Amino acid sequence: MIILSLFSGFTTTLKEVALALGPLFIIVCFFQFFIFHLPGPKFSDVVKGFILTFFGIALFLQGVYAGFIPAGQKMGIMLSELSYNWILIPIGFVIGFVAILAEPAVHVMIDEVDKVTSGSIPGPVLLYCMAIGVAFAVALAMARVLYGIPLAYILIPGYIVAFLMMRYCSEQFISIAFDSGGVATGPMTVSFIMAMTIGVATAIEGRDPVLQGFGMVSLVALAPILTILTLGVIYSKLSKIYDEENSKT
Amino acid sequence: MSSLKNTLIEVAYSILPITLVVVIIQIALRMSYEDFARFAGGAVLVCIGLILFFLGTKIGIVPIGKMIGEYLPQTGKLSIVILFGLLLGFSVTVAEPDVQVLAMQFSQASQGAVPKLILISAVGIGVAVYIALALLKLIKGWSIKYLIIASYVLVLLLALFTPDSYIPVALDSGGVTTGPMTVPFILALGVGVASTFGGKRDSFGFVGLASVGPILAVLLLGVLFG
Repeated sequence: MIILSLFSGFTTTLKEVALALGPLFIIVCFFQFFIFHLPGPKFSDVVKGFILTFFGIALFLQGVYAGFIPAGQKMGIMLSELSYNWILIPIGFVIGFVAILAEPAVHVMIDEVDKVTSGSIPGPVLLYCMAIGVAFAVALAMARVLYGIPLAYILIPGYIVAFLMMRYCSEQFISIAFDSGGVATGPMTVSFIMAMTIGVATAIEGRDPVLQGFGMVSLVALAPILTILTLGVIYSKLSKIYDEENSKT
Repeated sequence: MSSLKNTLIEVAYSILPITLVVVIIQIALRMSYEDFARFAGGAVLVCIGLILFFLGTKIGIVPIGKMIGEYLPQTGKLSIVILFGLLLGFSVTVAEPDVQVLAMQFSQASQGAVPKLILISAVGIGVAVYIALALLKLIKGWSIKYLIIASYVLVLLLALFTPDSYIPVALDSGGVTTGPMTVPFILALGVGVASTFGGKRDSFGFVGLASVGPILAVLLLGVLFG
C-alpha cells in the first residue's frame, strides 16, 4: 500500500520532467544536426545520458513529493506543537552541520580555495568553518519561523557585513565566496529542511507558510559567503604580515 | 565503472547522514509506522533518482554542454555567444531538479497563487540574463565587486516594491539554481569565452552572479503580477 502511494501522481511528474528537459534537448539536437554532426555512437551516449537524467529527475522528484515533503511537513508540525518547541533550533543546527559535511559540492569548492591560497588554509579547517556557518544558518532559520523574525533583519546586516569584508579581500576570494553561496544548498536542503520550515510555519499561529516557511535557503546561501570572506580577510592579513617579515630580513 | 562507484558514494554521502538524523528524531517523536515508511520510501527513490541523474549528466549532458560552451566562443561573434548563452542558461536552469522542488512547494504553500511554470520560467530567465551579464563582465573585464554590490542594491530596491509574499521565495530561488546541470555548463562557457575573447582567465564569480539573476526575476514577477 505504502509503496503504491509513493507512486501516486507519477505520470504528472513524468510530464513535468519532460517539459523541464525539453528545451535543453531541442538545443542539443540543433547543435548535433546543424553544427557538430557527432558520429552515431557518440551521439547515442548523449541520448542515453538524457534518458538516464530523465528517469533520475523523475524518481528524485517523486521521492521528494511523495516522501520527503509530507514527512518533513509532518515533522515540522509535530515538533512545533511540543511544549519545548525551541528544540527545533538545536535540531536545525545538527541537521545543517551534517548536511554540509556530506555535500559533495562543498568538497569541490574546498579544492578550489586550496589552489588559490596554495594550501595555506587547511581543507578540514575550511570544511568545519563552513559546517558551523551553515549549522547556524539553519538554526537561525528555525528560530525565525518560531518567533516570526523578519528575514530582512538577518539578511540585510549579513550582506552589509559581507560587503564591508569585500574591501579587505582579493577578487579571487570574493568570487569563490559568492560562488559558494549555492554550494551549501544540496538536494536535502530544498526538499526536506524546507518542508520542515513550511510545516512549522503552518502549525504555529500567526505564521504564514508563504512568508516564514520560505527564506531558509537564502540564509543557508549567506553562511558560506560570510565564512569564506572571513577566511579571505584573515588570509590577506596573514600574507601582509608574512610579506613584511620577509622584507625585514 | 569507477564513475558508477563514485556516484554511488557521492549520493550515499549526501543523503544518508541526514536521513539517519531524521530517523532518530522520528523515533524520538514516536511517529507512526506509516509516516516512517513514507520517509524511508522517499529516501530510497531520492537515492536511486540522484544516482541516475548524476550518471546521466556525466555521460551525456555535461560533455555536450562543455562542447557547446567551447564551440560558441570560436564563432568569434559576441552576439551569437550571448544569444546562445541566454537560451542555454534558461534551458539548463529549468531542468535543475531543485528549481522544480522549490516551485512545487511554493505553488502548494501559496495555494496556487503563483503557478509552477511561471515561477520556473522566471527563475530561468533570471539565470539566463545574468549568465549573459557574466560573459560581458569577463570580456570587458568589469570588477565582480561592483557587479555584485549593484545587483544586491537592485534586490533591495525591488524588494521595496514587491508584495511581501514574493520576497522569501525570491531569495530562496537564488540558492537553488546552481546545481549539477548549470555549473559545469556555465564554467565551460566561461573558460571558452575567456580564452577566445581575452579577458582574465578565470570563470570564478560566474556561479555567484548566476544566482542573483533569479532573485531579481522573481521579485520583478511580484512587482508585475503581485
